[in-house]
Amino acid sequence: MRPVKKYGSEHRGTVGVITSENPRMTCRNVNVYYGDKHAILDVSIDIGRNEVIAMIGPSGCGKSTFLRCLNRMNDTIDSCRVTGEIFLDDQNIYDKKIDVVPLRAQVGMVFQKPNPFPKSIYDNVAYGPKIHGLVQNKVEQDEVVETSLKKAGLWEEVKDRLAHPGTGLSGGQQQRLCIARTIAVNPEVILMDEPCSALDPIATAKIEELIDELRAHYTIAIVTHSMQQAARVSQRTAYFHLGDLIEVGETKQIFTNPSHRLTEDYITGRFG
Amino acid sequence: MSDIDMDKTNKTIDTVKRGLARRYAAERRFRLFGLIAIVISLSFLVLLFGTVISKGYSAFQQTFVQLEVTFDRAMIDRDNPANSDFGGLVKAAMGREFPEVSGRKDKRKLNGLVSTGAVYQLQDMVSTDPGLIGTTNLVWVPADDDVDMLMKGHAKRTGAESDRRLDDQQLAWIGKWEQEGKIRKQFNRAFFTSGDSREPELAGIWGAFVGTILTLALTLALSFPIGISASIYLEEFAPRNRFVDLVEVNINNLAAVPSIVFGLLGLAVFINFFHLPRSSPLVGGLVLTLMTLPTIIIASRASLQSVPPSIREAALGIGASKMQMVNHHVLPLALPGMLTGTIIGMARALGETAPLLMIGMVAFIVDIPDSFVTPATALPVQIFLWADSPERAFVERTSAAILVLLAFLVVMNSLAVILRNRFERRW
Amino acid sequence: MFKRGVIVAGACLLVAMGGVGLAQARDYISIVGSSTVYPFATVVAEKFGRISSFKTPAIEATGSGGGLKLFCGGVGVQYPDITNSSRRIKASEVKNCNDNGVKQIVEIKIGYDGIVLANSKKTVPLNISRKELFLALAKNIPDPKGSEMVIPNPYKTWHDINPALPDNAIEVLGPPPTSGTRDAFMELVMEDGGKEFPWIKALGKKDKNAFKQICHSMREDGAFIEAGENDNLIVQKLEVNPKAFGIFGFSYLDQNSDKLQGTLVDGEEPTFEAIADGKYPVSRPLFFYVKKAHVGMIPGIKEFLNEFTSEKAWGDEGYLTDKGLIPMPKAERVKFRNDAGSLNNLSL
Repeated sequence: MRPVKKYGSEHRGTVGVITSENPRMTCRNVNVYYGDKHAILDVSIDIGRNEVIAMIGPSGCGKSTFLRCLNRMNDTIDSCRVTGEIFLDDQNIYDKKIDVVPLRAQVGMVFQKPNPFPKSIYDNVAYGPKIHGLVQNKVEQDEVVETSLKKAGLWEEVKDRLAHPGTGLSGGQQQRLCIARTIAVNPEVILMDEPCSALDPIATAKIEELIDELRAHYTIAIVTHSMQQAARVSQRTAYFHLGDLIEVGETKQIFTNPSHRLTEDYITGRFG
Repeated sequence: MSDIDMDKTNKTIDTVKRGLARRYAAERRFRLFGLIAIVISLSFLVLLFGTVISKGYSAFQQTFVQLEVTFDRAMIDRDNPANSDFGGLVKAAMGREFPEVSGRKDKRKLNGLVSTGAVYQLQDMVSTDPGLIGTTNLVWVPADDDVDMLMKGHAKRTGAESDRRLDDQQLAWIGKWEQEGKIRKQFNRAFFTSGDSREPELAGIWGAFVGTILTLALTLALSFPIGISASIYLEEFAPRNRFVDLVEVNINNLAAVPSIVFGLLGLAVFINFFHLPRSSPLVGGLVLTLMTLPTIIIASRASLQSVPPSIREAALGIGASKMQMVNHHVLPLALPGMLTGTIIGMARALGETAPLLMIGMVAFIVDIPDSFVTPATALPVQIFLWADSPERAFVERTSAAILVLLAFLVVMNSLAVILRNRFERRW
Repeated sequence: MFKRGVIVAGACLLVAMGGVGLAQARDYISIVGSSTVYPFATVVAEKFGRISSFKTPAIEATGSGGGLKLFCGGVGVQYPDITNSSRRIKASEVKNCNDNGVKQIVEIKIGYDGIVLANSKKTVPLNISRKELFLALAKNIPDPKGSEMVIPNPYKTWHDINPALPDNAIEVLGPPPTSGTRDAFMELVMEDGGKEFPWIKALGKKDKNAFKQICHSMREDGAFIEAGENDNLIVQKLEVNPKAFGIFGFSYLDQNSDKLQGTLVDGEEPTFEAIADGKYPVSRPLFFYVKKAHVGMIPGIKEFLNEFTSEKAWGDEGYLTDKGLIPMPKAERVKFRNDAGSLNNLSL
């Protein structure tokens, strides 16, 4: 492998406050390599408790890659290598002793394209609790399914057809089903990778509403292409550019008064 | 819009229109070629089926002759039927039918008109019902294959005597039977219930059929789980390295290795090294397993690859272990494709004779196999052996056996379609 | 689904392994060898299986050489008990047998088989000598001018060889080199035909390889066509093409006597009688060999020999003659029946 190009410290410094007063996840000096390609360059950031943090940036800036580091989904890619430290509460999730299976129960994920299992709506939601042994009997299971669907705002729409296939729902409903599936295992953090990019505006509005409600119980990190969405749903925003974390700050501040020139150019629509 | 712009637009449309005819012509040409290809292959298929059916259908009937048999006490040993002279009973019955025939040579010719199977038939009758001894009964016994061919019109009645299998005298005897209604064609049960025989009128496919079932059952029971486990391991769990690449290349190569090589391997390993019994469905099943495994593995891997990665991510993202991801989500989606691959492999195994040659399953075997270690043969082998037999009557039996093989194939494939549809997720 | 498959596979393996235990004892006779003897051995085996209390022997057509190789593999249930052969066992094969522990072999001659040259009944029968056959089919033939040299076979039609023969192109369908019929044809027709030339006969005594080079090379220019092991195929081709001739065993001519006629060789017609009394020149003896060590180990061998050597099987009027076997003279039958009864050891 070629030696990785070192960047000078003058380039390093992320503008803004990367720390959080009450952090749930703490990322320090995270580097990601795909084979020879250096995809994430020394990123450090905190994700606060019960906050929604939005990650924005042009295509290929590494925001999704970084998000997938947070529950080690990148492990499934053979050529991918991650260095640095990511703490969930006090635990380094990249520690050798950490098992990814319980980690992913703690840090759930919602994907860009709605991907319900080709099973019934009920089975989709019940699957997580079942494999993790979170429910002891059918009554408990029914309860978890119902509360999860209610939390995801889908219960009223599907309560009469729980046995129908999940793939038969509309795109927005499918994505909410995926959210219900994720929260059924009661995670601490929910990662959302452009959850609305495949949805129409009405469905998008519903999901955004839902994210706002979920904030009360969960920490949410959302990657989005839409600056308006970031502005609407998040409290903090991180701007990525070509693998660098350029700027982090209060969402209001980022969108009204960005400190870094690249952030400003992106926000004002000069590129992206 | 200005005139110049209008002009430009018109020009574009004209160009498009000029090219249009050519584009449609190309499409029509392609459709025509496709249609011709289909018609040609269909007509070959019709020709094949036509030949096989027209040659083979007559084998489902067999000529029988009615004899008045006296179960003479003196000629039957009640305690040991094997010691009885049932041949004598048949000869006596024939003698009563044609009392005018005398002389050794003529009697031989006369007795040659009924099958040697008549003797076994009488033996069976007496051993199942000893009460027959001492009575006289009308019994329909199978006719000799030459008589059968004559009755079915496959042999001619006219022409020089030396040109025929049956001479004028024998024709006259048959003519008398025909007049008295003592000779008739009826359904050939023996063809479906007995094993091989050197007498065409007694030969059946049941032995080969059972051999095929035993061999294929073992092949399926071994190759399906092994093939699927191997493909899952290679596709989902194996690390990507040189060694695995090597394994992969080898599996692809094995799929193209001529089947006789697997026969040689089976001979060397299973028979000469492990001393498994020669000619047995056990060894046949093992050899065919080796042969079908690469096909199943390749097809299964392809169908695993076609499962969308989003399903895997969904399962992993919720905290499923890799094994749970495979068993709960990937395998059910890949199973229809795996079944298809397995059926293709099994269909290939069903038609194989070359590897069976080396392990002794290309053999004359009369007894119906009753276990995995008794000698057995298989349907395609039976076809091969009959096609090579000098007796004329085996020609129609060969075609009839081909029909049975085709029917078997159709049943197997339909079963596969039904199974696949049951497993297929339609959502 | 997946787990169930694994369980089924495991169960099958267990059954298979159980089978290995069973395999230690074999209760049927295993016969291999010549495809020429196969039609006769199978008839006897079937009869034996039906009328006796023993199982029907399993018979494989592996060819004479292949059969002897398997037979000589050793003593034990995994090796065949009997091998059929359309030629006598060779000294080298006996040695191979001995080396593998097969020390006692019983030789039984069962009768004769004629090899015929036949064509469709639509044309007149041919009368041809073995010398003419050699000239028609050898790749290289002696120089007609009389020098002791071979030249590539120049003959296109039968007429070219002998003006008495018809003016048809030479076209003969025959068995491939793996066949015993081919071996016998080489020996009885090609070699004997070649020996009609005095210098080739002398060569046979001096340099066997050069002799074989001349007599065993068949034409490759389309006059001789290798038609595969399936003799029925040759019969079908002869029907379609009346000008072609085919080489095969007598039983195929016998079964197809309404369509085919035998060519007279050296003036003799290939008939049952002519082959039986040795007048027809192209005939060979058929044998089978029994492993004495297996008698008593595998049930029914003695009884099978008894059936095979009985008069009702191989006698003048026996059922084997119906299948085209040409019986031995009475005295020879008595001798070999005695050999079978007392399991006399083979002496070359």
